[in-house]
Amino acid sequence: MKVLTTQASSHLSLELARSLSSSHAIRLTDRIEVSTDLEFVRSDLDHGASTNELVRGMDAIVHSGDVDPAASVSDQLDYQMRCTYNLLWAAAEEGVQRFVYLSSLRLMEGYDPALAVTERWRPLPTPDVPVLCYHLGEMVCREFARERKINVLILRLGEITAESAAGSPVSPSALYMDDAVDAVEKALDAEHSGWLDIYHIQSAVPNGRYLTGQPWWSADDVSPPLSLGYEPRARN
Amino acid sequence: MNVLILGANGELGPHVVRALEGRHRLRLSDINELETRHEYLKVDASDIDQVIAAADGMDVIINLSVLRKDRRLAFDVNARGCYNMMVAAVEHGIDRVINTGPFYVVAGPTYERFDHMIGPDVPHQPGTYLYALTKSLGQEICRVFTDSHDIHVLDLLFYMFLDAETHTVESGSPIANIGHDLVPYTVSWGDAADAFGCALDVELDSLPSRSEVFFVFPDLPHQKFSNEKTRRILGWEPKDKLDQFWKKAKS
Ligand SMILES: NC(=O)c1ccc[n+]([C@@H]2O[C@H](COP(=O)([O-])OP(=O)(O)OC[C@H]3O[C@@H](n4cnc5c(N)ncnc54)[C@H](O)[C@@H]3O)[C@@H](O)[C@H]2O)c1
Repeated sequence: MKVLTTQASSHLSLELARSLSSSHAIRLTDRIEVSTDLEFVRSDLDHGASTNELVRGMDAIVHSGDVDPAASVSDQLDYQMRCTYNLLWAAAEEGVQRFVYLSSLRLMEGYDPALAVTERWRPLPTPDVPVLCYHLGEMVCREFARERKINVLILRLGEITAESAAGSPVSPSALYMDDAVDAVEKALDAEHSGWLDIYHIQSAVPNGRYLTGQPWWSADDVSPPLSLGYEPRARN
Repeated sequence: MNVLILGANGELGPHVVRALEGRHRLRLSDINELETRHEYLKVDASDIDQVIAAADGMDVIINLSVLRKDRRLAFDVNARGCYNMMVAAVEHGIDRVINTGPFYVVAGPTYERFDHMIGPDVPHQPGTYLYALTKSLGQEICRVFTDSHDIHVLDLLFYMFLDAETHTVESGSPIANIGHDLVPYTVSWGDAADAFGCALDVELDSLPSRSEVFFVFPDLPHQKFSNEKTRRILGWEPKDKLDQFWKKAKS
């Protein structure tokens, strides 16, 4: 599969791209130059022919909702709203089949950890800019999915965590890179509802905060049960 | 009250100014120059520092700014402009914001094409149309701020405006033709402007939540959209019924 991955300068995107490149043809992009062994195309993700060229021929796009913390608030908001919009338009116009948006479980942090929060619960964004950006990025994706311009999968990822030394405390929503890669791999292949599919992704850690692997189920007969098939790796 | 208006120099601005002057102290602003006897500041709504500075000493912000076509500017003004306005409100302790936009902030084609009795409290489905989506993002940013700050945002949404006196025989008008119906969400400029007075007068404690959306149009018989909430909560009483459009002309 030919896969475009955005935000090449972010640790997550680069790690994902490296791992996915063993089974997919990866093209990386970013607004700044990034040095990598993989194919890289710099792009401002503007409204114009160059964004169409960037996505032409791709089977899927993995677009990260992470923002560059060093960028100004205005730039962060602009990237998540306008650039996501431009990318989705270009992808829809060029017939890209699948758009995987990497959002965050931080959108669900407002709930009491004792609650069995799943994808069906309403996100609780805050004005904290990174969190707001995930929410606004999801909102842009949602409207493209609603109009069935492109198949959108949203993965709300836990806190990306390095494999820690044994015994050190980890976040209850920790997500290790191998699980993140596995979830994105599955999102590229999984059966799609044709609407909007949202999945919560975190690793199996002590006191894990979010449920994962809950299949979508509805009592109607037009949206059959669907699951990503993601299962976090068992850890000791 | 001391009222800052962003985007005061557009089509709606002068009507709003007329409805509020005399009762409130107005500070008008726009990205363009503006001839006025009120205080005037040149403010780019997409510049956070300018918006914060302009809101100093104000009790209320009214946002009439809009950019519809250009992708970059539409996001800058319609969406990020709202972020800037809310940061300014937080900074200056402003507890009342009146935001505006088109009806499809809420009810894009997936409602308008299919449904009737569409009210302002349905989940937002703006669709991908640039103007609708960017204004909807702006409204959502406002709502998110009201969840964590003691600020009330009243969002007044409109569809079509006309001058009830002069909009007469233009047959073929996509908005309204005498005896041949009108867009079932049309309001006269004067009535629309009066809604801003109501939104300034309404007790904040009487609002159901800190973020409320209102559809502003008079009673129309189509039952396509609902204005019930606007009349009930804001006490808005439109004067122009516009029945010359939705009743057949006498032969
Ligand atoms: N006119 C309509 O038919 C209509 C219909 C539905 C809703 N609305 C809504 O009513 C409100 C007012 O609309 P209008 O008809 O007066 O629009 P308009 O286009 O006539 O005026 C908008 C004003 O915003 C200003 N503006 C643009 N960019 C700006 C920036 N960066 N900073 C500050 N100001 C900027 C423009 O200079 C202009 O004076 C908007 O929220 C609009 O979405 C209008």
